[in-house]
Amino acid sequence: MRNGENYNSRRTFLKGIAASLLLLPVLQSCKEKVIALLIRLSGTNHILGHRLWVKNFPKPTRQIQIPYLIIGGGISGLSAARQFTKKGISEFLVLELENYLGGNSSNGENQYSKFPLGAHYLPLPNFHDKTLLQFLEEEKIILGYDAKGFPEFDEAQLTFSPQERLFYKNDWQEGLVPKYGNSHADENAFQVFFSKMDYFRETKGADGKYLFDIPLGHSSNDEQTLKLDNITMKQWLDENKLTAKPLIAYIDYCCRDDFGLGIDFVSAWAGIHYFAGRKHNATSDGKENVLTWPEGNARLASHLKKYSEGKTLKNHLAYEVKIEGNKTVVHAFDDMKKESVEIIADKVILATPQFINQYLLENRKHIAREFHYAPWLLATLTVSDLTDNYSYPLCWDNVIHGSKGLGYIYDQHQSVQQVQSKKVITYYFSFSSPDIRKTRRALYKQKKEYWKQMVFDDLKTAHPDIEGKTEEISIRLLGHGMISPVPGFLFGAAKNQAGKSIGNKIFFAHSDLAGISIFEEAFHQGINVVNTILDGTTLDS
Amino acid sequence: MGKRFLRFEFLLLLAVFTIATCGLVYELVAGTLASYLLGDSVKQFSFIIGVYLFSMGVGSYFSKFLQRNMLNTFVEIEILVGLVGGLSSVILFLLFESVHYFQFILYFLVFITGCLVGLEIPLLMNILKDRVKFRDLVSNVFTFDYIGALLASILFPLVLVPQLGVMRTSLFFGMINISIAIVLCFLLKSELKKGYLLKAKAIGSFVLLLTVFIFSDSILSFSEGKLYGENIVYTSSTPYQRIVLTHNKSDYRLYLNNNLQFSSADEYRYHEALVHPVMAMAPKIETVLVLGGGDGLAVREILKYKEVKTITLVDLDEGMTKLFKTNKILTDLNKQSLTNPKVKVLNQDAYIWAKSCKQKYDVVIVDFPDPSNYSLGKLYSLNFYKTLHQILSKDAVVVVQTTSPYFAPKSFWCINKTMMEVFPQVDAYHAYVPSFGEWGYTIAANSFVTNFNTVNRQVDGLRFYNYQFEKLNYFSKDMVSKDIEINRLDNQVLVRYFDEEWGKL
Repeated sequence: MRNGENYNSRRTFLKGIAASLLLLPVLQSCKEKVIALLIRLSGTNHILGHRLWVKNFPKPTRQIQIPYLIIGGGISGLSAARQFTKKGISEFLVLELENYLGGNSSNGENQYSKFPLGAHYLPLPNFHDKTLLQFLEEEKIILGYDAKGFPEFDEAQLTFSPQERLFYKNDWQEGLVPKYGNSHADENAFQVFFSKMDYFRETKGADGKYLFDIPLGHSSNDEQTLKLDNITMKQWLDENKLTAKPLIAYIDYCCRDDFGLGIDFVSAWAGIHYFAGRKHNATSDGKENVLTWPEGNARLASHLKKYSEGKTLKNHLAYEVKIEGNKTVVHAFDDMKKESVEIIADKVILATPQFINQYLLENRKHIAREFHYAPWLLATLTVSDLTDNYSYPLCWDNVIHGSKGLGYIYDQHQSVQQVQSKKVITYYFSFSSPDIRKTRRALYKQKKEYWKQMVFDDLKTAHPDIEGKTEEISIRLLGHGMISPVPGFLFGAAKNQAGKSIGNKIFFAHSDLAGISIFEEAFHQGINVVNTILDGTTLDS
Repeated sequence: MGKRFLRFEFLLLLAVFTIATCGLVYELVAGTLASYLLGDSVKQFSFIIGVYLFSMGVGSYFSKFLQRNMLNTFVEIEILVGLVGGLSSVILFLLFESVHYFQFILYFLVFITGCLVGLEIPLLMNILKDRVKFRDLVSNVFTFDYIGALLASILFPLVLVPQLGVMRTSLFFGMINISIAIVLCFLLKSELKKGYLLKAKAIGSFVLLLTVFIFSDSILSFSEGKLYGENIVYTSSTPYQRIVLTHNKSDYRLYLNNNLQFSSADEYRYHEALVHPVMAMAPKIETVLVLGGGDGLAVREILKYKEVKTITLVDLDEGMTKLFKTNKILTDLNKQSLTNPKVKVLNQDAYIWAKSCKQKYDVVIVDFPDPSNYSLGKLYSLNFYKTLHQILSKDAVVVVQTTSPYFAPKSFWCINKTMMEVFPQVDAYHAYVPSFGEWGYTIAANSFVTNFNTVNRQVDGLRFYNYQFEKLNYFSKDMVSKDIEINRLDNQVLVRYFDEEWGKL
């Protein structure tokens, strides 16, 4: 789910043939069987997590000594484990609250397909992000480099064509940017907007750094540009007289997709970063594409996991971290054995989000207050058929223009199989509202039937009979789906303070410290924190 | 007067209401069919509405010449409208393929229906003019007329077409039309002359429509046969495709999803050109793999070489291979190749199967459907050929059917170029197959030393191929294309080329 400005345009692909239409009445007379719909509801282990509020855990009865402890088995934690291993250090432990690793990059699976439970793609990295390119090469996602030095990505791990389609004015069209049925003025607004984004993408500041880069911390400190963080994306669009409705809807979609919040609530710097941070320069033809897998970024997590194999304690909730003498003492609750354990480490990495850290450390509440996390809902539907008006064939990413949802991913898109007996799709929804806490409470209050209906009602715009065709629906609620860069946050004091290590003993790594929730940030956070610990440098290895 | 008269008036107004509803339904049926069959729905609907309204005017004009037995005429017209309108869709379906002047028939039927409906209203007003006040008459007749029209135009797209289909909708309304005539016949006995004759006509017509209604499914499949222009011998729908076998004189044709797969009259050209060049030039031919080709016709050609020890055929559709193992007409055609002990048939997805295959093959013959959609396009991708490369023996030779270099040169050379990325040696050739046109193949060798012109072995009795590869290897200027991209899973350019090129035809 991303912007696709560069895709070739083609409108109508499937043409009706008289013969197939002759059969239409016959086919329509076939009545569908009514099958009882199976609804499942899951989420992160928020019940256990919320025990941090009261901390009613038993006293530790065991003790573990380890030089390095990583708390949190998401991408930043796993990436730190990899970096330790690369640096020849094997004496570390990873503590994870859930019974699986990967955090937001984990997946589910049913009879027909794997499917993501969170993050589900990695855009082609920037050419200068050598650290990431190296990782992709190690994992055979990059198969080699061509004569000009451009990486050659594995065809089977790039999104297959056709990649994206948009339901706009009752027709599907290729790409996510509305192209057909726009007025001249709309057309013009898109052009102006994209040329501004081209400028932001290519321009460097006086310090020689890109105005917008990934990792975000590598961006220029150009003052004019940093000011963009003080206003909302909507304000910036208004200032630039970019008010065409289809454009606004498109940019709002992009912001909700990457930050969980729409243009009314995210900072303009972040909004522009979405379009300008990625340089599209990793391939010789400069084409945009993303790497994806049926299980989403759980694939990347599984590549990282091997570095902490045998060194992981799952179902372990750390609930207290403090420095005692020259050691760091961590108390954690083992949810399986229902007992607590004391871990004594030389150094601890908190690869956990700040809304957790405020309960592990003292005096962090005022910091955590500045971190906003949008709630998310994912719904994976198993459907017997996915009928629509066939104006453009089913793609990997399918978005309904003007919808409150973010569309859906066709989970079997990366399969080379000719026919799928059932189709599995994953629908995404982020709760974009000024009062995140209220929406989060509502998220857990409503019953699964309520969310099911919301998903159907949204999808019905493009697939009128989806409800009758759905056989199973797995809903996943993420109370703290991702960090949302509201104005003033990215370059504000709270974020800066949250990342500072304590007493050269407690260190921090998490994508919320970067300010945006993308794989690249978490990956670099993990590497940087280990480098800082080992040689006092933040440079990537 | 009084009660009895009220009933009389009410009945006739009910008739107006029905005529209006039915008339509009017939008009919509004609418009829908015209857009289905001829395309350009705006034009079709516009013309049909115009012709229909005009012919109603014609009907109204002629109504003044009908002065005797007006009630009888009214009922007769009611029957006739039902008959013509009800059968119009059936007639149109059946005639679509066989008649050149289809449009004439279409508009003629619309015209006749329009005239008859146009006659009705003035006629009715004439019948009622002495019995009802003119002011009430005009207002009532037109009210019912327009309400009927509204009802029809709402019901048609929302209920009728989805529930009944176009053909049954028109038949159904024909029956409603006629049943009103029947009711009138019985209730207005005293007013009608020769009532029994009318009754007979009405009931006869009703039975006719009902019969057609009941058999509408087989008419539909017959009209489908008309679409193919040949007699349908066999049809079957598998989970993957619709298989239709047709027969015309001595020629059998097989269609998969309405695309011609082969004609028995000239398939030998296609299959000899597909199989014999590779079989002749391959250093070894002990193990042969056929991907697709569930008709067993390529296997028939392969079996002519006695050196062949095993043939593995991987075809997705069990329905297809079963049919070609059991149907007498088809096993005569493939010489029972699929039940030959040397042949192993696997009904699996070829791509998935190839990815997990551990064996190596000396000859691979790829006979997939054309890359007409994104699913099929994957079977022509760089990644697929890389997968295929893994299961080739050291000196293996591969041939792939690669659509027409004449109709689709970009598509043809796109596959060729994609294969060049993977295989050490690649070449192309083509043959003329009358039912297909100029058809092409790409051939590849897994070794640098294999010479495409070598003939290591040959069999007698071929009708087309004479083992002179170089004769098929020349491409005239109109079959060449430049600046072609490689087909990858992440760009699927081939499907785009293919759609662009075949879409033009």
